This record gives sequence, structure tokens and C-alpha cells, in this order.
Amino acid sequence: MRRVFRVPFKPHVDRDVDDELAFHLDMRVRRLVDAGWSREAAREEALRQFGDLNTVRDSCVAMDQQRERSMRRVNLITELVQDTTFALRTLRHNIGYAAVIVIALAIGIGANTAIFTLVDALLVTTLPVKNPDALVAIGDPRRTGGMSIGSPRSDLLSYQLYKDLARENTVFSDVVATGRSGRLDVRIDSAHQELEHPRGRFVTGNYFSVLGVPASAGRTFGTEVERGADAAPVATISYGYWTRRFHNDPGIIGKTILVNNLRITIVGVAAPRFTGEVVGIYTDIWLPVAISDALNPNRRTLDDRSAAWLLALGRLKPGATLGQAKQQVPTILQRAIVSNATPSDAKAFLDVKPVYYVESGAKGLSRVRVNFQAPLLTLMIGVALLLCIICANVANLMLARSIARGRELSVRQALGAGRSRLVRQLLTESAVLAFISAAAGLLFAWWGSRTLLRLASAGQLDIGMNLTVLAFTLGVSLAAVALFGLLPALRASRLDLASSIRSGAQSLSGSLGGRGGGQRAPLGKVLIASQVTLSVVLLVGATMLARSLRNTQATDIGVDRDHLIIVDVDVLARGYRGPALARLAHDLRDRIAAIPGIGAVSFSENGVFSGSDNGTSLQVPGFVARSVQDTLISYDHVGPGYFTATGTRLLEGRELTAADENKPEGVIVVNESFAKFFFPGQPAVGRFIRADSLSLQIVGVVADIHQNGIKEDNLRRMYRPYVNTSQVAQPGSLRLAVRTVGDPTAVVQQIRKTVVSVDSSLPIDGVDPLAKLMERFIAQERLVAQLATAFGVLALLLAAIGLYGLMTYSISRRTREIGLRIALGAQRSRVLRLVLLDAMRLVVVGLVVGIVVAYLSTGLLETQLNGVKPGDPLSIVVAALVLMGAAVLAALFPALRAARVEPMIALRSE
Amino acid sequence: MLNPDGGLLRGTLDVLILKALSWGPRHGYAVAEWVQVVTEGELLVEEGPLYTALHRLEKNGLLTSEWGYSDNNRRAKYYELSRAGRQQLRAEVSSWERYARAVGKALAAASPSVA
Repeated sequence: MRRVFRVPFKPHVDRDVDDELAFHLDMRVRRLVDAGWSREAAREEALRQFGDLNTVRDSCVAMDQQRERSMRRVNLITELVQDTTFALRTLRHNIGYAAVIVIALAIGIGANTAIFTLVDALLVTTLPVKNPDALVAIGDPRRTGGMSIGSPRSDLLSYQLYKDLARENTVFSDVVATGRSGRLDVRIDSAHQELEHPRGRFVTGNYFSVLGVPASAGRTFGTEVERGADAAPVATISYGYWTRRFHNDPGIIGKTILVNNLRITIVGVAAPRFTGEVVGIYTDIWLPVAISDALNPNRRTLDDRSAAWLLALGRLKPGATLGQAKQQVPTILQRAIVSNATPSDAKAFLDVKPVYYVESGAKGLSRVRVNFQAPLLTLMIGVALLLCIICANVANLMLARSIARGRELSVRQALGAGRSRLVRQLLTESAVLAFISAAAGLLFAWWGSRTLLRLASAGQLDIGMNLTVLAFTLGVSLAAVALFGLLPALRASRLDLASSIRSGAQSLSGSLGGRGGGQRAPLGKVLIASQVTLSVVLLVGATMLARSLRNTQATDIGVDRDHLIIVDVDVLARGYRGPALARLAHDLRDRIAAIPGIGAVSFSENGVFSGSDNGTSLQVPGFVARSVQDTLISYDHVGPGYFTATGTRLLEGRELTAADENKPEGVIVVNESFAKFFFPGQPAVGRFIRADSLSLQIVGVVADIHQNGIKEDNLRRMYRPYVNTSQVAQPGSLRLAVRTVGDPTAVVQQIRKTVVSVDSSLPIDGVDPLAKLMERFIAQERLVAQLATAFGVLALLLAAIGLYGLMTYSISRRTREIGLRIALGAQRSRVLRLVLLDAMRLVVVGLVVGIVVAYLSTGLLETQLNGVKPGDPLSIVVAALVLMGAAVLAALFPALRAARVEPMIALRSE
Repeated sequence: MLNPDGGLLRGTLDVLILKALSWGPRHGYAVAEWVQVVTEGELLVEEGPLYTALHRLEKNGLLTSEWGYSDNNRRAKYYELSRAGRQQLRAEVSSWERYARAVGKALAAASPSVA
């Protein structure tokens, strides 16, 4: 469109219309005057011929304004397209710069989203049920998979105790109870003979109605499933299980499946978001607690007050408070426990001042939450630090680049680019960068949260990516890009054209990171120094965690870990108990021992690293317990020669032999912690203790076995003979400990075949070398250490890149100065030192601050460290050296380039 | 083709303007003069609506404008047909001719009905 003047603003529109109309009237008047009219008459005639001047003028102005607006819009879009194309071209030419920013931001966004998703799901989010804040959890929420048979205890409830609580309380409108299902053997299709093991949970009939969880298909079961009602056995499945296993097939509702050989009808599917009251572990199938005895006929618990395995959730009545529940619930539980226990058990129970757990149930029950809390908080801090470093790095790169582009911008301004146009151009560039980073971050976040969850929980956790968290992280990162994209833009538009063009790399006195006295230099320096500081903190933390992990892996766990195989067979499923179980155990032991390459074989109920344990409380004559914790011990039932088979050192006395089996007088072996705790400074062998109403004599002391994890608090444990008719609680499981002469993996198949030859229908749950079982227990610690190390390495890398960028930029600005110095006789080695020293000054400042911060803050890691003290000097030294090394490398290349500057070229270069 | 109030039908004025500009750029006054002359003062009762029409056509992209200088060296706004304007003119002319033929035929008809 050719135009003499642009017409950018409204006032022009008015004036133009006025001019145009005035021209018309003037022409008309002139024509009339030429024809002999008087001026006055001509004027009147012209206006008359024209008609309504004001209306015409207004509508013309209105239309011109509309035209202007749409034209501006078109211009804006055209310019935006131009800017974007230009930005993409610029970024393509600076692919390294763009890649560093995009990758750094993507990692920051992804890692933060992943970690904070976990944090939110485990520590913050309340259950997706009706009014979760009115729920009260009763029982130790960590023991969601617990089952304890024996002396009365206060951390888990028996079914009868739950009934008492539900009946006697006045604070809850209703109380539900839930408990572990154990392994379920499920056949969906009787034609399809493959056994499946969905995650089940026993719940009381009022579970769904009290929590307020509706069915998304079919119905949820209700109180009709309670004991006494002779309804057919039913189950409700979770939405996730319905989707995964049945592909949302509505035909599954009303279908009968086989669970532990019992026919059960699926009546419906629970609401989509509800995965159960156990946070972090999804439940596939809910079964009425009333049929638990029918499903586990070998472990009947409903009428057994000594079988504690349920946790309760009460819904507070309107007006009732958690405080009232905390007052009332322990009273009811204690009265019920004491009035139903034998006098000696009751006394023992009361003597140790039982602890009752009555807490808010709004966030559900969770073992994972307790276990993950500390590591998650650690990772949270780490990942937040990483995001800070990334933002600092991005800011730094953008600043350095914008300074480097100062001249380009000045030239473009001089050639007539408007200030707002320049700002818009730079912002577009930032926006393009931000969008690419956001897209990459999104992908990384999606992949990262899934991977992290899989690693963190071995598939136990089922948590989707948290969109709120993602939005927040995206927002923070993009704000950083926008801010540091805008800053140079505003500054650039203030440039003093003449001086900026005249003095490309002007200042001889120029210091590192900026033009002489320029305002940007300090910001760049501060960013680098703070990056170094944050990196040191992260690195120190990561080093400490890695060292701790090494300690953990090297811990002596009390058994011959490299030559041990654990064979786990499901004896309950085949109904083995009592003498039959004893015969099976001996049979298997003898047959496996006959395999070539096997050193020794024995068996136990729980064994090492199986994840299950027995607990009881005991009384030791002459020992005064200070709290309930003091009397709690764990115990295991073991076969003859168990400690020889596991390779455990015998410290005193003898180990259990075949002669101890089926003896009326009980004998036990205890471990070192037990002996030292109850009989400090005295021999333990020969002493008597009381447990489960039996008097037991100690015949031997063995070294501690860390059988439930490498870091165990309470290691006190005793061992009773596996085969013994006088015991209250008979062994319910069988695990063989097989010690091999050579590589344990070589005989795994042989052992499997041997078990099948003894009883081909006996389910084998696992034949695993111990190292593999241990891996499960340190997986979490390993993951935290690995993630922290990954964050540390990233931080190091970013700090190095930042420093490299700053140095390269600063040297490119000082090329002339350096050339001049060399021309005037400065030695190249001196130049090298000068440049390196400049860089190191910054690094050292950051390093010193970082070390102080790390020294003061690593106390936060204390609970997660094994054999490493907070503020560990070795870790600090290692981290500082690594960072120093990386910094020297990052500064060396630009410095070498500077030292190679040819004076003549440098002086001519601008 | 005349409104009840004696004005021009809107489409007719538009097509006259397009025609007036078909020989090259003109300012509004020249367009008004041309319309007066070719229609012998029969059609254009007032000149104001002509300007409303010019601005509307410009807004709709049928005309472009630029400021130039008139013969007597005064600043004036010159209008020119855009490519879309030329196409519009061609379309209007042919449809007008069809219309005129049809009406002419109807008015010249001899018999009351063909049915």
C-alpha cells in the first residue's frame, strides 16, 4: 500500500476526514463562484448539496477507525511471524546456547514435577472420599500389612476388639476396619488356569458407605456382607484393576471368580479416583472381612482376640473432635484388651504403658509415607536447589548473550528499528525459547515421574503426574526466562547508540563479565558465584549420601551374604501344619542338602530379608522395663543347624539341634543385642525368660543378623525350635536357608527341581540368592543417593557451563586489551594466569559460602545417613575439589584462547 | 432504483463509484462531479452519502487511498480501485446487465401470461 503518510493514530483519522470534506466543499464553492455566485451563497449552496455534514463526517471517521484497527492487527501478526522466524533463525545459529537452556530447563521442570508429584501424593493430598477431615485413624498407620498373633498389643486391632470399639464409642458416627489380605490366589476364568495375585484388602461391610465412595459400575458391597448375614461371598474391585485387567468390560459385574478356591461374585467397581485407604499402594480388590476365615482357613482370626491385624478409621460425629477421640478411644481399647486377656498377659500389657495410635485419618494410612518422608524431603530440597541453579544459569547465559548483542541491537536501532519493536523482538526470542523448553520439560516430566515412581516403589505406587505441580514448575521456569529475556531487552533499548557502536570492546580497564563500570557485570558475577554455592551444597549432600550407601552395602549383616539362597514355599496354601509341616521341612532339607555344591541347609519361619517377622513381649526376671519398647523383641522359629547354614557366628553356648525339637522344656538361642540388653555384663547362657506364658532357657548367643533391613533399630531377637508342639503360635510359613559352596545362582534351578520332586503342587514363591533379596531393602536408599548424585552432577555441569560462557564472553570483549598487553610485551603465561585468576576469584567466593552452608545444613540428612556424620569433612573436601576441578577446566579453554591472541589481529579486530 | 425518499439504492451508488474510479485514481470531489455529469444530476441528490460510501468501500478493501496534490496544488485524498475492487466492478456490471435485460424484457412483454 503506497501512502505518503502513515496514519497510525486516531487524531489523524479525524483530521484526515475533516481535510477531505473541507477540500470537497472548497472545490464546490470555487466552482459556484466561478459560475457567478456570491461567496456566501456559494457556501450555503455547497453545504446544501452535500447534505448532513456531521453525520457523514462521523460515519467516515468511524469506518476509518475500524480500518485502522484491523490493519494494526494484521501488522502485529505479520511482525510476530517475522519475529518468530527471526528468533528461530537466531537460535539455530546459536544452537549450543539454545540447547543448554532448553535441556537445563527441561531437566529442572521434569525433575521438580516428578519429585513434587510424589511429595504431594504421599504427604499432602487427602483421601478422595467424602469429608476426609472427619476421619480418625486408629492403630499404627505404618502397619497396614501387619498381622500379629500372640500377646495383646495396642498398635493393631483384632476383629473382636474392633467390634468393641465400634459398639462402645460415642464420638464416631461409624467405624470401619481394614486389614491385609495376604497373598490371594485368584482364578478369573476356571478355564484359564493361570493363578493371579491381585492386591486385596479385607474391609468391613460399612467401608464404602462410611467413606462415601460410590460405585462407578455395578454396586459397592454394604453391611449385608457382615457375619451372620448369609449372603453369598462378594467383592468390589477398583477402577484401576477393572481397567488394567478387564479393559472396563461391564460384563465382569456379576461374574464369579475363584479366590483361594472360594467362589466370589464381583458386584461392582469403585469410583475411579479411589485406590483405597492405604496411600501410595493401590488396592485391586476389596473383600468383606467376614469371609477372611473362609478365604484363609489355615489362619482363622475373626474370633481370635490374640490375632491383631486390623486398623480402624472412625468418622467423627458432627461436633465431635479429634481431641475427644484421643481421649476416649484408648480407654475403650485398654478396657477391652485387659478384660479379655489372661491376668498375666494383662499385667504385662499394662506394666509397659501401652501406646495408642489415634491420629487424623484425612490422608489415609501409609507405611510408604513414613518410610519416604525423610528421603522425599531431602530430594525436594535437592531438586529445588537444582531449579534455582538452572534458573541462575539460564539467566546468566541470556545476560551474557544480550551484552554480546549490544552492538547488534544498537546498529538495528540506528537503522530505524523502534524501541518497542526491539523489545518485542527480544521477548519473542525468549518466548520461543521458553515454549521449546516447556515442551521438552513436559515430556521429561511425564517420563521422569513414571520412571521415578517405578524405581522408588518397585511398582507399588500408582500415582499419576500432578498437573498442578507441573503448572507451577513450568510457571517458575518460564518466568525466569521471561524475566531475564526482558531485562536485556529493556536495557538494550536504553542503549546510547553512538557510544555503543563506537566502542565495540572498548575498555582497557574492562573487568571480567562486563563493560567497564557496566551495571550488568555484578549481576553476572553474583549469578555465577551463587551457582557455585548451590552446586557445592548439592554436591556435598550427594557425596554424603553416596558414602552412606557404600557403608550400607558393605555392612556386615551377620550372615554369609554371598553364598546364601533363600527358598520360599507357600505351605499354608497346601494346608501343611503341625507334624506334616515338620516332616515337609525335614524332607526338603535332606533332599536339597543332597544336591552337589550345597554346603549346609536349614529352615526357618521368617528367615532373612523375607519382609516378615514375629514379635512378642517378654519378661526377664530382674529386668525393669522403662517403656513398652523395652519388652518388645522379635523372634523366629528355626530348624537344626540354622546358624551353620546361614553362616552366623556363634558367640556363646551352642546352637539349636535336632535334639531340641519337640522337647517339653523350651530352649532358645538369642542374639548379641538381646544378651547385651537384658543381661548387660553377664553371661546369658543358662538364664530363663518368660514369653507367651512359657518359661524359656537360653542355650546360646549368636551374632546379630540384620534380617529386616540393613538399618534396624531394635535388633533384639530370639530363636525357638521350628518343630515344637508346646508353642502357642505355630510356624505358618517355611523358608529354607541354603548355603552354597560356590556361586549361588548356579544351583537355583536344581533347587527348584528338587522342591517340585518333593511336592509338585507346592507353590514356590521364590528361590533367590540373598543379594537379590537385599537389593529390595536398600533400593530406596540407593535411589535417593543416585538421584542426589545425578542432581549434583547436573549442578556441577551447569555451573561449569555458566562459568565457561561467562569467561568466553568476557575474553571476547577483552580481545583488544589482551592483544595490546601482548603487543606491549606481556608474556602469554601471564595473560593465562590473569584470566584464570579472574575466574577463580568468583569460584572461590562461591565455594567458601557453599561450604559454610553445606556444613550447617547437612544435619537435615542425619536420619538417612549410615556411618557418615553431618558436615562430614571428607565429603566436603571431595565436593570442593570436584567443583574446583570442573571450574578450572571450564575457565581453561577460554583462557588458553586468550593467551593465543595475535596482537595485530586483536588490535585490528574492531 | 430510487428509494422512497428519493435517494440512491446503496448498491447502485457503490457501483457508480467503482466505475468512476475505473479510469484511474480520483479524489472524492472528482467522483462526485463525474456522477453528476454522467447521470445529468438525476441520481445523486446529496453528495454526503458519496463520502460515506467511499470510506466504506475503502474499509472493505475494494479501494485504496493515498494523499496527493490536486491540479490546483491542494492536498487531497485520492482513491484507487484495488484488485478486489476491479473484480467487484466486473461482477456488478455483468449482474446489472442481466438484471436490466430481464426487467426490460418483462416490461416489453405483450401477452399477460405464459402459463
